[in-house]
Amino acid sequence: MVVLSRRRRYRAFVSRLLCVLAFAALIALCVPGQVLAQSPIQAPEQRVKAAFLFKFGSYVEWPTGAFASANAPLTIGVMDADELADELTAIVAGRVIDGRPVIVRKLHEGDPVAGLNILFVGKSVDGSLPKILSPMKGRATLAVTESDGALDAGSMINFVVVDGKVRFDVALAPAVAGSLKISSRLLAVARKVTGPS
Amino acid sequence: MRSTVSRSLRLKLLSVVLLTTSAALVVALVAIVAYDLRTYQQTWISDVSTQAELMGRLSAPALAFDDPKTARENLALLRLRPHVQAAAIYTARGELFASYARPGASPDLPKLPEADGSRVEGSSLVLYRRIVGEREILGTVYLRTDWELLGRAGDYAGIAAAVMLVAMGVAFLMSARLQRVVTNPILDIAGIAREVVGQQDYSRRARKLSEDEVGALVDAFNGMLAEIERRTSELEVANAELGREVASHAQAQQEILRLNAELEGRVRERTAQLESANRELEAFSFSVSHDLRAPLRHIQGYAQMLQEDAGQLDPDTRRYLDLIRESARRMGMLIDDLLAFSRLGRQTLERTSIDMNALVERTLHDVGAGRPGDHRLRVARLPSAEGDLNLLRQVWVNLLSNAFKYSAQRGESAQVEVSGERDGAVIRYHVHDNGVGFDMRYAGKLFGVFQRLHSSDQFEGTGVGLAIVQRIVSRHGGRVWAEGEVDRGATFSFELPAEPAPVPENAT
Repeated sequence: MVVLSRRRRYRAFVSRLLCVLAFAALIALCVPGQVLAQSPIQAPEQRVKAAFLFKFGSYVEWPTGAFASANAPLTIGVMDADELADELTAIVAGRVIDGRPVIVRKLHEGDPVAGLNILFVGKSVDGSLPKILSPMKGRATLAVTESDGALDAGSMINFVVVDGKVRFDVALAPAVAGSLKISSRLLAVARKVTGPS
Repeated sequence: MRSTVSRSLRLKLLSVVLLTTSAALVVALVAIVAYDLRTYQQTWISDVSTQAELMGRLSAPALAFDDPKTARENLALLRLRPHVQAAAIYTARGELFASYARPGASPDLPKLPEADGSRVEGSSLVLYRRIVGEREILGTVYLRTDWELLGRAGDYAGIAAAVMLVAMGVAFLMSARLQRVVTNPILDIAGIAREVVGQQDYSRRARKLSEDEVGALVDAFNGMLAEIERRTSELEVANAELGREVASHAQAQQEILRLNAELEGRVRERTAQLESANRELEAFSFSVSHDLRAPLRHIQGYAQMLQEDAGQLDPDTRRYLDLIRESARRMGMLIDDLLAFSRLGRQTLERTSIDMNALVERTLHDVGAGRPGDHRLRVARLPSAEGDLNLLRQVWVNLLSNAFKYSAQRGESAQVEVSGERDGAVIRYHVHDNGVGFDMRYAGKLFGVFQRLHSSDQFEGTGVGLAIVQRIVSRHGGRVWAEGEVDRGATFSFELPAEPAPVPENAT
């Protein structure tokens, strides 16, 4: 009896130990995945914005007259955000949107904006945004900004950073005015969409 | 017995129907189920694949713009498809981007996405689908749904079993009724056949219930029965006739046996009568012969005395006395012969081995033959035999003296030949002469007592010699016969058995 009970106790101990070990292993396996899933490490903001900027091209439909030919390049102008422009240049290298090559042009305040399909205006030109954007009104150029209240100034897409993540709001009215069709799928991932009222 | 047979035939038919039905059903059900399961599998996989594709398309922007919340919202739409256990979206780099798990389902997700494809894991179908954007991979959709193929197969098995049960039941009921169309005529024939065999009643006929092969069978069966009936009656008639014949035959046989027995009895009776008469006759002749001798001797004696004493008698009287003496002498010889003959019937045989050549030599000497120039006698080498020496000597005496006697008139050219040979079980001897011979018409009479073909004037003799010969030879178990031709000679032959069988003493 004694021997038996002792052996039983030993067995119980071993099985408990095994349970603990298995649980620990499970946690060790699962935790990093969960951590990754819940707060993915975001790339530097400028690179994310550059990537988003490039991807917008896929979700926007320009009017027929916007391009000279079917495979004419899509031109993205980056105003006063050289770092982002560099990133974007790196991203677009060798890539196409709807069969069009992508050209990145670094601009600065006052530079002509004609012929651009997308115009990004950096944060540094915050004050003079309305001045830059007002002439764009009605043109088939997607205006993207990263300043608070930029949508009111006539921007169509405005980056915001929420909880350390880059998101964006969309204003449909200026886009409609510029005969641009923004895909509902893009709108689905927008943080906020301002209707064309 | 009837019920056993009918049950067996019906049972066989029933089991054939049921087996056929079940085989057809099994094949059909297996085909249907296999087809359905395959279709289910294809449909299900393509359905899940489509859902994954849709989810990928829907979530592509969320991936592109790094919006897990939207992706999660998209995935949450899958709650409308309750069979989806879990779903997830991975980024292009393989990191988990968004996930969904059905309440109650295991929320476990693979750490890394796999290439496009689907597989079954236990009771789940796992499917990966790449999300492809503008020529680049945006991420991967992972879907895990219920996989109900096994359950479905189980359901089908249940349905199939139920269908089988119902179908077999229907088939059983139908065939139990319908098989009578087939079995009843056959059972009818079988019943008739049994009755015919059991009761030997060939007048039964099977009913013809249908015009098909069974009908033909009934016709053939009835035809055979008719034939058997006909033959049986013929056979019975023939049997009866045969029985009558046998009976009459047996009766005739019995009659023959009875007659035979009667005949045998009569023969025995007659034989006994004859034997007794014969014995009486022999005794009579013996005593007569014996009694005759005494007066004869007196006659002879007194005639002689008369001749000697009366010298003065005239020649005529003397001649008469001579005639009396001669007649008395002949009568004495006759009586001696008769006594010898009659004694032969009683005498016992004393058998010894006999050198026939020596016996013939002695006999020739005794009969006074072999006188020089008298006969040309030839005696060949004779086989020896067994028998009574004295009796056989008498045979030779008679035969040789006859031969000399009847050939004597040939004078110088007379010829007597003695020969013999052994022929199997008999030894045969011949005495041939070229004397007067005889007419073969009288060959049968030669061996009778007092039978003479010639008068005693021509040839002396009593007519008893050949009768004695025949008696001796037949007492030895042999036979004697003669061949001859008038004036051309005669041949007397006798046979003795080489190994003599005991001959009844009273044989005559």
